[in-house]
Amino acid sequence: MVREFNILITGVGGQGVILMSELLGKAAIVDGLSVRGSEILGMAVRGGSVTSIIRVGEDVYGPLIPAGKCDIVIGLEPSEALRNASYLSKSGLVILNTVPIIPFTVSLGRSSYPTLEQVVEKLNSIASKIIKLDAAQIAQEAGSLLAANVVMLGALLGTELLPLKVATINERIQARFAAKVAPVNIKAFDLGYQVCQQAVK
Amino acid sequence: MKELTIGSDAPGERIFVLGNEAIARGAIEAGVQVATAYPGTPSSEILENLAGVAKEIDMYVEWSTNEKTAFEGALGASICGVRAMASMKHVGLNVAHDPLMTASHIRAKGGLVVVVADDPWAWSSQNEQDSRYVALQGFIPVLEPSSLQEAKDMTADAFRLSEEFGQLFMVRSVTRIGHGRSDIVLGEISRERRKGSFKKDPGLLVYVPRTARINKPLMLERFERIKKAVNTMAYNKLQMAGKARLGIIACGLSYSYTMEAVKWLGLEDEVSILKIGTPNPLPEELIIKLLKSVKEILVVEELDPFVELHVKAIAGEHNIGVKVHGKDVVSQLGELSTRKVTEAIAKLTKSKLPVDFAELDKLEQEAAPLLPLRPPALCPGCPHRASFRAITTAAQRVAKDYGEDVEPIYPSDIGCYTLALNPPLHAVDTTVCMGGSFGLANGMARVVEAPIIAHLGDSTFFHAGIPPLINAVYNKANITMVVLDNSATAMTGFQPHPGTGYTATGDETATLRAEDVARACGVKFVEVIDPFDLKAATETVEKAMRFQGPAVLVFRGLCTMIELRDKKKAGEKIVPYHVDQDKCDPKCDACIKLLGCPAIIKQGDKAVIDAALCTGCSICAQVCPYKAIIKE
Repeated sequence: MVREFNILITGVGGQGVILMSELLGKAAIVDGLSVRGSEILGMAVRGGSVTSIIRVGEDVYGPLIPAGKCDIVIGLEPSEALRNASYLSKSGLVILNTVPIIPFTVSLGRSSYPTLEQVVEKLNSIASKIIKLDAAQIAQEAGSLLAANVVMLGALLGTELLPLKVATINERIQARFAAKVAPVNIKAFDLGYQVCQQAVK
Repeated sequence: MKELTIGSDAPGERIFVLGNEAIARGAIEAGVQVATAYPGTPSSEILENLAGVAKEIDMYVEWSTNEKTAFEGALGASICGVRAMASMKHVGLNVAHDPLMTASHIRAKGGLVVVVADDPWAWSSQNEQDSRYVALQGFIPVLEPSSLQEAKDMTADAFRLSEEFGQLFMVRSVTRIGHGRSDIVLGEISRERRKGSFKKDPGLLVYVPRTARINKPLMLERFERIKKAVNTMAYNKLQMAGKARLGIIACGLSYSYTMEAVKWLGLEDEVSILKIGTPNPLPEELIIKLLKSVKEILVVEELDPFVELHVKAIAGEHNIGVKVHGKDVVSQLGELSTRKVTEAIAKLTKSKLPVDFAELDKLEQEAAPLLPLRPPALCPGCPHRASFRAITTAAQRVAKDYGEDVEPIYPSDIGCYTLALNPPLHAVDTTVCMGGSFGLANGMARVVEAPIIAHLGDSTFFHAGIPPLINAVYNKANITMVVLDNSATAMTGFQPHPGTGYTATGDETATLRAEDVARACGVKFVEVIDPFDLKAATETVEKAMRFQGPAVLVFRGLCTMIELRDKKKAGEKIVPYHVDQDKCDPKCDACIKLLGCPAIIKQGDKAVIDAALCTGCSICAQVCPYKAIIKE
């Protein structure tokens, strides 16, 4: 029985953060787990920060991850991962897509964007491990840039920390996507899974 | 295998849902026949999901023009004997306040429930008001869920209770309930469909003074009965610990944070917990029992000290010597969290914190200066950006007539366009409430020597913009009133409204036009403008602002999100613009500085258009002084 496992998925509007948490949540209940979660979209339709939380286990009541208790942060965008770093536990893991999305405020000169090294350094000061991958390139390899979020989902399962069956997630992907694009997403999932497995070894 | 949905007749099955779907499911299980709402985050998905299954389950579902109309519709159906629900956000409840206060006097025939979604931290709202005070004022019993399962169960049960006690009930949600996700177990769906009938009963339904005097004592009697009943309702639960050092009273969702906090601190055997599911009226007998068992009490609740004040009053009335804590140790601001509750309990019990929160705060402070600002922004291609460019250009010109340093005033409203508050558009000077733009402009026009051009959206216009427009005509206010008509309630998810030509359930209907309404109201200057023709738009705005008396401008351009969706469906290609770097002056930056479009970025000193984001709206090409932005 799982007592408590906390996942925070973060990125930018349009990257498919919410879709990932839906796939995870639906798969979790198929595998007999209790799920709690929440999302914050703010006022942004596109381009704003998006965070989604998925928590599984018998001891979970609330929709939010207590600060210092997050087991895995999935960053679809580097600066957004950093923004949520203080949720991480000491044994927490970060799966990081290294491809930045630079907001227009940087063009306007209203803010600046950190280097990847700065992001990784700060995350390293708390996380036990960071798994870095170029989800865009892997998604492209699978057949579509749009599948970058599913690559990250594959990487999450690739840690084998989650009490979820790969077959169940695959079923959810099949059910969620149109027949035409489902194979691309299955492939994206598999590639993400493999990259993570190699990184963990 | 067919996917289970909130409309599925599958009692006992588990499904993974959004909180607002859970609430919608509760209404379906209760056999609600009429559901009404006006969109508002975080409540919109309740009605949206009901609209999706309305025909299949035989429920009448409508987007009403505003919350007052929505609630009145539900009340009318309830008076005729069927179960009815109105859902809205917390500030929407203010709009419905007038009928709400009298509705509670009417002995409910068909179960009547108002679902209200509060928004602690004002994630998507103009304030974080606490709806429980409205319920207190109106003698409206409140059910407040601690989980999504309870949100579903309470919603369904609220209709039964409303009929059992003859009283209007409220279900109070918060952002983390409505926009939470969880598995829930489905219950039985009531297939009962009643035929509505109206029975003349002026002593109950016609609120002349005498009727209020007759029905108020009856309402108070009903409320007294409910006050007794809540002590044995399963939504309130007292868990007494063997060696309790502290008693906690946790209301609604705060109960979930409390349970996690107590476990995290390892205090399960030392803390007694009273879960509150009915904040109004409170289960007094359970509270007294807990108060008598400990020396110290902590009340955990989001937003204001509603339960806390009552608990202090109860302790005083019954002479119980107990110290009651609440907002002295748990913040009155924003959302609660397991951390906040953990810190409060640790302080009162002198326990060691399970995690070094200070270290996490330090990390957050160190990371903050590295993080880019990523505020919500008008989408690339948004017609509002084009409209604001025309509005501000014209308004600056007109302001010159008033004096060299006179600034135009831009009263704004509730919608996507509020985002023009940010640079570089700077076209929002006030935002207070729905329709407040036109309303505030009326008063400003009496006292300032400056041009005033107020704006609101199409859905907001139909919601609350028409009375202040009529006021401007009637009282001869010299203001320009702009309707930014993108044919959708865009901010909350593109819901239809009286100007879109179709209903919540997708049926075709009459299309009301803001310009027709304005003309019918007696406005003498009314023009419809294409936002993407910048030159013509700017000239028309200038003309309107120079017109003596109220003027109305309708900027009509479909919401880009809808346009892109439609184009994608039709297989139409989007042709983006690009910057001809030979013609572009890298020192100019007019496109960036005037528009703030997320699709235009600086790469080195070059302005570059992100082809993946550009919708081909052309407005940057129109502002470029070098004609350097061209279509591919």
